[in-house]
Amino acid sequence: MVKFTADELRAIMDRKHNIRNMSVIAHVDHGKSTLTDSLVAAAGIIAQEVAGDVRMTDTRADEAERGITIKSTGISLYYEMTDESLKNYKGERQGNEYLINLIDSPGHVDFSSEVTAALRITDGALVVVDCVEGVCVQTETVLRQALGERIRPVLTVNKMDRCFLELQVDGEEAYQTFQRVIENANVIMATYEDPLLGDVQVYPEKGTVAFSAGLHGWAFTLTNFAKMYASKFGVDEAKMMERLWGENFFDPATKKWTTKSTGSATCKRGFVQFCYEPIKQIINTCMNDQKGKLWPMLQKLGVIMKSEEKDLMGKALMKRVMQTWLPASNALLEMMVFHLPSPSKAQKYRVENLYEGPLDDIYANAIRNCDPEGPLMLYVSKMIPASDKGRFYAFGRVFSGKVSTGLKVRIMGPNYVPGEKKDLYVKSVQRTVIWMGKKQETVEDVPCGNTVAMVGLDQFITKNATLTNEKEVDAHPIRAMKFSVSPVVRVAVQCKVASDLPKLVEGLKRLAKSDPMVVCTIEESGEHIVAGAGELHLEICLKDLQEDFMGGAEIIKSDPVVSFRETVLERSCRTVMSKSPNKHNRLYMEARPLEEGLAEAIDDGRIGPRDDPKVRSKILAEEFGWDKDLAKKIWCFGPETTGPNMVVDMCKGVQYLNEIKDSVVAGFQWASKEGAMAEENMRGICFEVCDVVLHADAIHRGGGQIIPTARRVFYASQLTAKPRLLEPVYLVEIQAPEQALGGIYSVLNQKRGHVFEEMQRPGTPLYNIKAYLPVIESFGFSSTLRAATSGQAFPQCVFDHWDMMSSDPLEPGSQAAGHVAEIRKRKGLKEQMTPLSEYEDKL
Amino acid sequence: MISSSFLPSAPVPTERASQPATMDLESNFEISRTSEFILSRNFTRVALQFPDDLLKHSTKVVNSLRNKLGSANKVGLFVMADTTFGSCCVDEVGASHINADCVIHYGHTCLSPTSTLPAFCVFGKASICISRCVEKLSSYFWTNGKPIVVLYGLEYAHAISQIKGALVEAMPKAKVELNFSDVMCSIINPLEDHRKSEGLLGCLGSCTSNNSLGAATGTRYSLGGLIWDLPEGQRMEDYLLLWIGPDNSAFANIVLTFNGCEIVRYDATEDHLVTDVSQQKRILKRRYYLVERAKDANMVGILVGTLGVAGYLHMIHQMKELIMLAGKKAYTLVMGRPNPAKLANFPECDVFIYVSCAQTALLDSKEFLAPVITPFEAMLAFSRGSQWTGTYVMEFRDLINSSTLEVRNQPEEARFSFLKGGYVEDFELQENGDGDNEISLALGNATEKALQLRDRNPDSLVKGIAKSGAEFFVTRSYHGLEMHANSALPEPYLIGRSGKASGYKDEQSGFHEAIKLVLVG
Repeated sequence: MVKFTADELRAIMDRKHNIRNMSVIAHVDHGKSTLTDSLVAAAGIIAQEVAGDVRMTDTRADEAERGITIKSTGISLYYEMTDESLKNYKGERQGNEYLINLIDSPGHVDFSSEVTAALRITDGALVVVDCVEGVCVQTETVLRQALGERIRPVLTVNKMDRCFLELQVDGEEAYQTFQRVIENANVIMATYEDPLLGDVQVYPEKGTVAFSAGLHGWAFTLTNFAKMYASKFGVDEAKMMERLWGENFFDPATKKWTTKSTGSATCKRGFVQFCYEPIKQIINTCMNDQKGKLWPMLQKLGVIMKSEEKDLMGKALMKRVMQTWLPASNALLEMMVFHLPSPSKAQKYRVENLYEGPLDDIYANAIRNCDPEGPLMLYVSKMIPASDKGRFYAFGRVFSGKVSTGLKVRIMGPNYVPGEKKDLYVKSVQRTVIWMGKKQETVEDVPCGNTVAMVGLDQFITKNATLTNEKEVDAHPIRAMKFSVSPVVRVAVQCKVASDLPKLVEGLKRLAKSDPMVVCTIEESGEHIVAGAGELHLEICLKDLQEDFMGGAEIIKSDPVVSFRETVLERSCRTVMSKSPNKHNRLYMEARPLEEGLAEAIDDGRIGPRDDPKVRSKILAEEFGWDKDLAKKIWCFGPETTGPNMVVDMCKGVQYLNEIKDSVVAGFQWASKEGAMAEENMRGICFEVCDVVLHADAIHRGGGQIIPTARRVFYASQLTAKPRLLEPVYLVEIQAPEQALGGIYSVLNQKRGHVFEEMQRPGTPLYNIKAYLPVIESFGFSSTLRAATSGQAFPQCVFDHWDMMSSDPLEPGSQAAGHVAEIRKRKGLKEQMTPLSEYEDKL
Repeated sequence: MISSSFLPSAPVPTERASQPATMDLESNFEISRTSEFILSRNFTRVALQFPDDLLKHSTKVVNSLRNKLGSANKVGLFVMADTTFGSCCVDEVGASHINADCVIHYGHTCLSPTSTLPAFCVFGKASICISRCVEKLSSYFWTNGKPIVVLYGLEYAHAISQIKGALVEAMPKAKVELNFSDVMCSIINPLEDHRKSEGLLGCLGSCTSNNSLGAATGTRYSLGGLIWDLPEGQRMEDYLLLWIGPDNSAFANIVLTFNGCEIVRYDATEDHLVTDVSQQKRILKRRYYLVERAKDANMVGILVGTLGVAGYLHMIHQMKELIMLAGKKAYTLVMGRPNPAKLANFPECDVFIYVSCAQTALLDSKEFLAPVITPFEAMLAFSRGSQWTGTYVMEFRDLINSSTLEVRNQPEEARFSFLKGGYVEDFELQENGDGDNEISLALGNATEKALQLRDRNPDSLVKGIAKSGAEFFVTRSYHGLEMHANSALPEPYLIGRSGKASGYKDEQSGFHEAIKLVLVG
């Protein structure tokens, strides 16, 4: 029952003012997909009757099975507004037909990279909040992310049916709950004040908050009711809206509005009086099958039921009635059309976030104006597996220009640097496709402001890329996405049959493409590693790998492996020295921990090798108490030249020192990548070159002599500075009722976790617990927790920080030493750590 | 390990020098066979090549050889020591310094074919207790039902026929199929082998691509100087491989080449069976990683690791061509046996290819700044579309023959790097792919590239990736002594230092250390 054709859709794609690109974001299980389905039902892809029962956007079998969304899915919807409903619309528009490109995203934190990818290509977000559970962890995270991308939010308070059917709360109590939910969301949004984006807080009286029951397919905004009552009371619609929310009370006895409750029994809050109570009444009537009372009421409301629907009973009847009276699609789609920006509007302020190059060049201007005649600027945010095994659609958003079938495009990968040839390809788009749930339609071209899928580029794009016209050689790429999760959990995979290796290699390649967060690499020992954000994420990835990308070839996976970091606790107990192989050169060095927060600053890119030294030394001096001159003497960062360790030159008046700098830097990149204890990356170590004695002849102080020596002296100074292991730690947020708290605490204790915040959600019996949990202990944590709390607690784990393990890894038998031994064994290294004497030389 | 093979009853090293009786020396160093070889071919200048640990016996060997040859014959015997590369290969360059006609090679050998000189190899005879060996083996074979291929270290070649006899006797009713390998030949004849390397593979099926070449009798395999046949229709994977000998590079080669086989090792000195070869199998995975790493390399150093093994020059040229086709830069380096300090003098090279004989080819020390791979691995890494399927070729004779690597016409795809976890492209390749690059434009493009803004922020600590030695040099912070071109006046001349770097004449003497090359005529 497709209500629209590809041609119709294509025609509307040109009207950039009539497009809304939006994503649906929320905490897991707050009903995004169900709500989305009712929207899709209205746009006509699936029959109205099954909306709420079939999750249209969960196209994968495992998604349906687990009841969670794993991949974000994009659907183009078509919605025609009536002239009457548009009469209040002030913005630009071209006709009454609207195209809504909607992306449903997963709520589970392990898949939040999908959310990031979805946000990049949308301009607005529908934030779904469960009216009972309120604003949860993931709501907060995704909201932050959305605002960071300058995405304008609207809110819907979902699962209203729970209020009426389960909790049966009275109007005032419900109002307080909703009010709190909205307030909580606004608190988060208020912290992201952005002059360009304007006020992003949501207000029911302005129509930016909807109240919905996704499962039953109905929703309303105050606009709906305001319209209904405006004529009756003879006031302006806007005025009526204001009265329907906040401190406005109405007493039907006196027919007077007051701003305070008069205390009389009939005096009720506007919202309760005119919105909540009528709904409650209808629902109750339906549920009690009081059809005699129901029909006149419906008639009064102007709801016309079909005759066969009149035979329905109970819940089915209620659902039908509510869907007819307050269809979710109308309320939500109208809210989007009214309050979410069109691409042309949004790109005006988003260009700053998006474009990496100068903001006054033609590409920036084309994006700013959403110019279909300008140069093509397209961001591919994710790759979607095609039904053709092994191939992918490149899915993204056209920010300016047009992309068409057969067009030759310039693909700028994430490592592309303007002017260089690295990570740059010129290829043709074989086909442009628009996405409609389970169906794809080929179209001739797609103009700016729309989402698009392209065929034929998958062999040149790993995860994301910027596309432009072939000739636009001076275009800069669109800024890479920043993910809120990181791949900390890793497993080694190998194939059961050795000759399947090519299949595995091919499969890993595809897996890397199919998910924005998964990382497929190879270890020094030759093992293939798949890294993901969490246990669930990895599980899904490996399933995909085996079933979809390797054609069912069997694989063996190792237990989850956590990567550690090596750091130091104190300054080296003495200055250590190493001699070069020819004994003619000596390097003296000390290691010390970096100041607190500095490693994080380097991670975030606030301090890095590419900075202007003046800026860098200013930050270092002001925030971390470095000496200004010293800050200018940083030789390098590492590993990979950008990592959170550094070498600082502390020598005075050493001859030829500049000659060996390159060699020391090379040695440092090497050493910081493979620390002395377990060959894990170093983190937060500052190496100070204290003195250097060099042979007078250049031939005796070449790289061959210095690089291995530098590596040894780095190790020696690390080992003398009380080396420690850093382990990754999750921030766990758990929401559970009071009686489950005991179980949560005991599981956390058992897993070395500790709770640092416990808060009761106002108005609910639920507690919010925040705790730190070592990643290495997190495997099986969810299931243990569920078992201990009889399924009442559901944790969300996000990598938070690196935590130093207090035990000394050099001391045999300590916990850290155990970890070191385990890592060494896995890597196939000698069981014993190389002793200090191997690295340090005596004069 | 090797020295003991020449001394059957010498458990303690100190006894070695005094103990060997004339008889032992005779048989261990195969004096009579050697003299026969020399006399039969009328060689007049003979080079005797000793590894370092056998050098101490050289004078005795020379004496007894001279006795055997008789004083009438004017045969010049020269002792060579301290080979530049691995001591398992015949040092032809060393031998040609003294215009030798042939080389007698003592000790452990890889039996790699030579390019110019004939050579005679004396393997030595390691002690092995046959009864105990047979006992161990037969009990293992009873439990394992697979057919068996027996391979061994060449120093045990003397005892193999006895072991074979005893084994057959010990298991008379066994249905276990036993396949003993034979030593190829202890005489290496350069001409003959050279032809072989040029493609006459018929008599010596290569261990990988021999199915079609196998005669009616079956398939012939050769590795590390051993040859053996398998009946038609059988694959090596169906067999249990038994290796008699120590855990050395020859064994590592076997494990790598037949990585699909079940392998057990009988250690004669310890007298026990080693069934767990996981450590060796780990090597294979590690090699796989090195191949992946090599794929990301931009500059490749070709290390010349042999000047004797037939076809090494061909191999070097082939490697150069391969690297060039892959759009990378190759530098050929000759440095004797590589060590970390030597290789670290070339920090610009991302990977080194070590062209050498099969048994010295596997260099995997974690001390190296850049990985060192074999030519076979280089072929995997640098020819697009080739995939690691598990087969492994060690000897580059076989590689030259299989050099027509079928690069299948795969759909064009950017290369996925497992080190970076994403697509990477190799620089030059892309430009070639453009197709419309006319030659007349090449210069223009080159200059355009040269004029590109290289470094936005000159003080930035990160430099771009260098694609050639020259570019690497530019990114270095130190470029050598600075010329002061602005001073017009000629500088007054200064008297420099003289002498050697290890101790100049103006530095205190007594520092000198003479390194003596032992050359006994």
